[in-house]
Amino acid sequence: MSYRSRLSVACLSGLVVMALGARGAGAQNAQPKEPYTIKVMPPGGPPPRLADGHPDLSGHWLPNGAGQGVSGRFGVDPEARRQFDPKVTPEEPPSFQPWAVQKIKSMTPTEVELSKSSVNCMPRGLPAIWLQNPYSTYIVHNKDVMAQLYEVLNNWRLIHLDGRPVPKDPEPWFHGNSATHWDGDTLVVESVGFDDRTYVMPNGWFHSDELKVTERYSRPSMNYLMVQITVEDPKVLTKPWKSAPRRWTLGNGEVYEFYCTNNKEVEELNKLKEQEGAKK
Amino acid sequence: MTQLKVGATLALAIALVCVAGPSFAHHSFSAEFDGNKCRDFTGTLTKIEWTNPHGFFYMDVKDPATGKVDNWSFQTYALITLRRAGTTRQMFLDNVGKELWVRGCVARNGKEHYAAAGSLKFASDGVLRQMGQLQD
Repeated sequence: MSYRSRLSVACLSGLVVMALGARGAGAQNAQPKEPYTIKVMPPGGPPPRLADGHPDLSGHWLPNGAGQGVSGRFGVDPEARRQFDPKVTPEEPPSFQPWAVQKIKSMTPTEVELSKSSVNCMPRGLPAIWLQNPYSTYIVHNKDVMAQLYEVLNNWRLIHLDGRPVPKDPEPWFHGNSATHWDGDTLVVESVGFDDRTYVMPNGWFHSDELKVTERYSRPSMNYLMVQITVEDPKVLTKPWKSAPRRWTLGNGEVYEFYCTNNKEVEELNKLKEQEGAKK
Repeated sequence: MTQLKVGATLALAIALVCVAGPSFAHHSFSAEFDGNKCRDFTGTLTKIEWTNPHGFFYMDVKDPATGKVDNWSFQTYALITLRRAGTTRQMFLDNVGKELWVRGCVARNGKEHYAAAGSLKFASDGVLRQMGQLQD
């Protein structure tokens, strides 16, 4: 298998693992007769709507199908863990430019580790905040703005809904510079101008200054928020990459504080990186 | 405590079958802890540090061979994960000075008496709780 193929497989595997949100949570590890206490959330009726008729996307959203935390718990139905079913909505792996494959391939395992937001404590940024975020997002939505309050790293983002275009010379922001429009009941957010220190996925998938991210938000029912991401990056990808629509479910629990303060192993990783560099 | 020891094997078995730890540990577990060096600990809870993003707790562990008591520290899941799983700071505080069982994996860098907690049981309630990413 070529590196590219292996990378694609790895990417796809990573996506699937993230979608499952659990180590070894596949059906093969589940006990079919286990009396699951944490199940898939019902739809919950029609979505609420703003005065202008658009769906109200407000809510405390959890990245699974359970409407509550699923990590570190017993008795969780595997169906409730994942954000999408790859059999129903398969997701193609990203198609990288050859130079991008080489660049990713040249990263040592430790460099890949250090590139992860979960390790280096950098903001995840867009689109990773929707693709590799195990914690909740609290959305406050009205006709003028959608405020996204991310539990992870206590980050936040304001998306203006007043029709403003993206700036001509956008500053490189972690969450980009966004313009929005409605496509029926789907809110479409297009963003450009990103800080290039972020990674799309925690597998070395970096991006260029030509990154454009399109988010499509819909609320098919009261309890479900669907988020679908398209990544365009002609310098890095040979064609746009489209995520599966990922489900987030409405939770009624607390939003907790999360700061990255005691990341002790970065020092260890940097030592390893130096050792790997000496071997190169 | 004997009851805890007896239950340890069963607890581990349950953990192996039922566990579903997150793939999103905040830290890179493999960089800091050795998944091949996991063991059971039984001892007395002495202190907790309920800190963002990860918690730490400490326990006195008696070496059955030498009788020497060492104070071990254990890293936990992110506090958010513990809270959503129903494990609270108060729960730990209520168990300071009491017995507990822990399955954990030791630090890679050789740091003594330091491990990542995988699962835990307080003697006071006997409930098996997931504590960390590695559920060996």
